[in-house]
Amino acid sequence: MAVLSIRPKAPRSPAPSRNKPVRGRRKAVGALFAVPALALFLVFAIYPMLRVFYLSLFDYSLTSPPEFVGFENFTYLATDPQFGAALWQTVVYAAGTYVPALALALVLAHALNTRTRGSGLLRLLYFLPVAISWVAVSVIWRVVLNPDGLLNQALGLHLNWLTSSGSAMWGLVVMGVWKETGFFLILFLAGLQSIPDELHEAARLDGAGAFARFRYVTWPMLLPVTAVCSVMAVIRGFQAFSPQLVLTNGGFGTQVVNLFVYKTAFENARMGRASAVAVLMFLLLFGLTLLQLKVFARRDR
Amino acid sequence: MAEHGIRSLRHIRTAGAAILAALLAAATLSACGGDESGGAVTLKFWTHTHPPMIKLNQTLIAEYERQHPNVRIEYQQVPNDEFDTKMLTSMSNGTGPDVLNLDDTTLRGEYLPKRLLAPIDYGALGTGSADELKARYLPRTLDGASADNELYGLPSEFNATAFAVNTQHFADAGLDPDAPPKTWQDVAADARKLSGAGHTQAFSFLYLHSGWYTQQLQTLLNETGGTITDPGHQKATVTSPQAQAALKIWTDLATGAGRAADPNRTSREATSPFSDLATGRQSMAIVYPWAMEQIRESNPDTFAKLKLVPLPQVNPAKPVNRWYGYYWGVSRASEHQQQAWQFIAYLASQSQRWLSDVKFIQPVKGWDTSAAGKQVPGLDVWSAAYRQGKFDEVAPHFAEIKDAVMAMVNDTVFDHVAIPEASRKAAETIDRSLGS
Repeated sequence: MAVLSIRPKAPRSPAPSRNKPVRGRRKAVGALFAVPALALFLVFAIYPMLRVFYLSLFDYSLTSPPEFVGFENFTYLATDPQFGAALWQTVVYAAGTYVPALALALVLAHALNTRTRGSGLLRLLYFLPVAISWVAVSVIWRVVLNPDGLLNQALGLHLNWLTSSGSAMWGLVVMGVWKETGFFLILFLAGLQSIPDELHEAARLDGAGAFARFRYVTWPMLLPVTAVCSVMAVIRGFQAFSPQLVLTNGGFGTQVVNLFVYKTAFENARMGRASAVAVLMFLLLFGLTLLQLKVFARRDR
Repeated sequence: MAEHGIRSLRHIRTAGAAILAALLAAATLSACGGDESGGAVTLKFWTHTHPPMIKLNQTLIAEYERQHPNVRIEYQQVPNDEFDTKMLTSMSNGTGPDVLNLDDTTLRGEYLPKRLLAPIDYGALGTGSADELKARYLPRTLDGASADNELYGLPSEFNATAFAVNTQHFADAGLDPDAPPKTWQDVAADARKLSGAGHTQAFSFLYLHSGWYTQQLQTLLNETGGTITDPGHQKATVTSPQAQAALKIWTDLATGAGRAADPNRTSREATSPFSDLATGRQSMAIVYPWAMEQIRESNPDTFAKLKLVPLPQVNPAKPVNRWYGYYWGVSRASEHQQQAWQFIAYLASQSQRWLSDVKFIQPVKGWDTSAAGKQVPGLDVWSAAYRQGKFDEVAPHFAEIKDAVMAMVNDTVFDHVAIPEASRKAAETIDRSLGS
């Protein structure tokens, strides 16, 4: 075994008194290499986050000095029907888009897991929408969703998808599922391909059918990937912005939280209030992520 | 080795001295650049995008720079839908322009209350006083850029509102273009006949963004006597009978008994707002002088069929029009305010060229009797409209109020919410905005 090992043989350990300063120096050099990345992270990630926390305690219109108001922005939001509606619309969009997208991705990943003729092309086709920007996709889907558009023609309907509170959100959801399924498909496919064939073989020899193999072999082995997909789905769902801006500008019950933040900050010049929303969303997403990780960790056990 | 080190040290010293000299020279030059007593001055000038306007601005800038070799104008055009955001953020971080061009609602709603603009420098403009300046313009037309009896801008374009009808469509429907609709009920009646003749998009309001929604509702509010808020901007008044009457006119024409077009099929392209009228899809539209010029340039065949008529009224015996204007102003943060006003004085002195080249009417007295004014199509209609106008009201946090107005119209037109319910919901949003 030692001969087959690819790990280089560790040198005989030198005297502890000589080794300590060398290891310390190595650590210092290593830390020095991390400094530029750390500095960038502090400047472009940590500082803006802290700044947003700070600004959320002020009334600030961009053009006049900030005025300290304590938690007033948060108490305002607690009773603001527009913020409540935006939060609800975000939940509807996130759930409506990502639950079907994840389910569809899992099914398609299974179908495409075995290499057959054309499976490579199909993988590419499913992934293609992921590579297109949200703005471009939105412009394309405007043609699909307009009253004379392809969707109505295909379904034999005459819905005004983007100009009615009853349908605008569902138009965006349909588009979102189309755009996002490919992303999760690739992740699930990678997860499926990492499952050793031996496990399926053993289960088959034990007489397990296709469903049993999925239930007792594939699904448990896919849990880590599913956890990642689930966390990412929630984050991506709550990050929704571009299609709502391009297609409806937040009208007809499609004003998601990020669009609400953008409008509050840059159109209505209420930076403090917008920052308070950002803080709340950060806390909410942080909590949801922890919760999901905990749930998946328990299942993994 | 030692010699090499010394040589390197010398090189470093020489290079250091050169850098220091360059920095000192740059600092001196930069100090000269900011000197207002004859040194070079760079003025940043921002406008929105409108090709004919940009072309004339570029010509005037070149002329001005030739006449004033010490002044350089950095001209930047900002896309219309990004204009407010970019302007506000740039003003907040000190990278904004010296000379800016803004519409009157933005000026009165955001910039003047926040003291972002410098008052007019009458000396730089070559006038002695506000009264002397006002005497050059039609009455009340400078009010769009005034606050607390102080003036902050000169009009680059000034728009009254009129109505355009497609004479070909009217002929198809057996209507007489010389007897155009005088009231909104007439518009609905004519629309029925136009629809019968195959012109199904007879008349539609434009559903572009909250600014467009608000200005069109304001046009109707001026006629019904309604308002969006009370005079002190303490509370919303969109639930008043007059305001609801204005919304009813809109809703009736969009989806009600007087339905004049399908609002879902109205063009929503904000960069070309009048494309339905210009391409001959729509038979009648509310228009402004610049819109007619845009159609003349882009669709001359349709333009030849359009007839300009007075805006339909609730009470034709007492016509009321809607005004709005764009004004040149100077940032309070500008270090070259005097030069900026001198540049504006030059731009404003070319009102005949603005009229002939861009069809921007600047409301100077006698514009309609000038050589260029006499060439304006529909002169009699515009001339009357420029005497019957009213600026939009603006209130604090006007952007939020415009959003509430848009939601109210969308509720009634697209979601078929009853007018009292939609206006009550809008009033709650507006009240909340005014009170916070």
